[in-house]
Amino acid sequence: MQPNLLRDTANLCIQARQAFDANGLPAAKNEAWIYTRLQDVTVNPSFAGDETSDNESGVLTFAAGWLQSGAQNLPTSVTVSEMTDDSVLAEFAAHLPEDHFLGSLSLGHATGAYLIEVPANAKLDTPLQLVFNGGDEGESSHPLLFIKVGAGAQFQMAEIHSGTASLSAPVIVVEAGAGAVIDHVKLQAEDATATHLALSIFAVAEKADINSFTAAIGSRLGRHETHAHLNGEEIEMALSSLYLGRDKQHQDITTRMLHHMPNCTSNQIIRGVLDDTAKGVFQGKVLVARDAQKTDGQQMSRALLLSRQAEADAKPELEIYADDVVCSHGATVGELDETHLFYLKSRGIAEDDAKNMLIEAFLIDALEQVRHDTLAEILSHAVHGWMAEGA
Amino acid sequence: MNLLEIKNLKAKIGDTEILHGIDLTINRGEVHAIMGPNGSGKSTLSYVLSGRDGYEVTEGEILLDGESVLDMEADERARAGMFLAFQYPVELPGVGGMSFLRAAVNARLREKGEDEVDQLAFVKMVRAKAKDLGVGDEMLKRAVNVGFSGGEKKRYEILQMALLEPTMAVLDETDSGLDVDALRIVSEGVNALRGDTRGMLVITHYQRLLSHIVPDYVHILAGGRIIKSGDKSLALEVENNGYAGIIDAA
Repeated sequence: MQPNLLRDTANLCIQARQAFDANGLPAAKNEAWIYTRLQDVTVNPSFAGDETSDNESGVLTFAAGWLQSGAQNLPTSVTVSEMTDDSVLAEFAAHLPEDHFLGSLSLGHATGAYLIEVPANAKLDTPLQLVFNGGDEGESSHPLLFIKVGAGAQFQMAEIHSGTASLSAPVIVVEAGAGAVIDHVKLQAEDATATHLALSIFAVAEKADINSFTAAIGSRLGRHETHAHLNGEEIEMALSSLYLGRDKQHQDITTRMLHHMPNCTSNQIIRGVLDDTAKGVFQGKVLVARDAQKTDGQQMSRALLLSRQAEADAKPELEIYADDVVCSHGATVGELDETHLFYLKSRGIAEDDAKNMLIEAFLIDALEQVRHDTLAEILSHAVHGWMAEGA
Repeated sequence: MNLLEIKNLKAKIGDTEILHGIDLTINRGEVHAIMGPNGSGKSTLSYVLSGRDGYEVTEGEILLDGESVLDMEADERARAGMFLAFQYPVELPGVGGMSFLRAAVNARLREKGEDEVDQLAFVKMVRAKAKDLGVGDEMLKRAVNVGFSGGEKKRYEILQMALLEPTMAVLDETDSGLDVDALRIVSEGVNALRGDTRGMLVITHYQRLLSHIVPDYVHILAGGRIIKSGDKSLALEVENNGYAGIIDAA
């Protein structure tokens, strides 16, 4: 028997569900969803129980959005608890953009909802792994995660999504305290039938140093929308991505870098590789508020098309209200250089291997953004796996 | 058996025929030079031999060790022993030099049915050969040809040749962009690779390279045909009288 589920008891969830039911999927004229149109999504949240047991240290595993194991075996000082308290849930929800389709969708159909806390000044050097198995076909998962990293703490996490769920729609809020140093890699490697719609929010306090990287490799349709609120001064925020697509995959990376305060630096390096009839979308907005003087905001996206039928759409946007800032953005779409390929082949390197060497070279600027070794290895392994499948 | 046999080779780029029927035979141990004015088809010949896409052979044959290479891709030809030292070596940002060299060497070893070389042994092997060519560790660590001077790029080409040990090496305008000292280093590197197991085809516009890499045979290519062949003295004739006299006489 199912227990009383958060989504049926918490007012916030009930209201969000009503909003979702009333508004439905984003309308065709909704500018944020022009390049990624949702015809239909499966909303069928399942209940996989929340039995937790021990497993490998530092690994939290989730099935269909429910925490299955790992809660008892966390790195020192890190705690995980269910967000049953209305006030915590309200705090979480307050970070979400108003009337946002993904926020309403997953808050309204929440599966597991968890609070992960890293106390102030805790110094971790091994990444916490959050391993999501989306669940079964025909099901949807809607995990809510509220990750609070205290002031001065050092924390790393790998967020890994796999499985065959028809929809996984995680909503994650990371609250970074003053001076916190966070390294985050998200690897989305779900089955080629899955839809992945994610909303991630970073709420960052002064002097924090955040390095977040999203790798969109799996799923039939993936949308990774990340909003970074730079709420204090002297923040360093890196928000980089790569997306890889083949067959009919559709990968969407959408970012909003919100400079609310002066003297912050943000950097986004996005690389996409698309084969067959795959489609890639990058929408990146850098907003610099009137008070956010001395902002340094950089953004560069490049897409590599391996087939004439592949398509890349880029919509970089700068919205600047301050007058003393250094901001730039750029977007390119290209294909493999024939002279590069010939040079490698003329040395005896087979065409597929040569292509992969050039793809890896193309991705390297993005891959090098990841500064934590373990996270870089997870990423590198996934990228090589993708290339090997194509060869 | 002849190492390389080119028979009545005709090739075009797009709709334009560039090579109008070339015959050339190279045996192991021989160094042949092809000289010719700009636009004579020298670079086209080097690309046709190495199998670059976009160069279509319309007639004739290219045999390497008696086997036709016309249906082979560039990488297959390279693994079969063909090597092209590029006139303009290509910069490959993001492709690490060492992993590039190792991928190339291992591809050739696999083809020969030999064991791949492990990383440690490979680094040793590269360093030893690189030293003779004045290719320093710092250059080896960089991405392929990125940030190399003209001379460094040519030395790096010869290093690749030394590592791959091709049976048939084609050197396309290896002297272009080299100063006197670099020309000497590169030539010494090439000369060190001369031997009974290998044939070389040195393509050049100027005689000066051929006073360093002394050829056994010299051929004059003009208008997509070999119009005259001779020994090394033919190169001096070009130096003294230019191409015009030879072309007019042909």
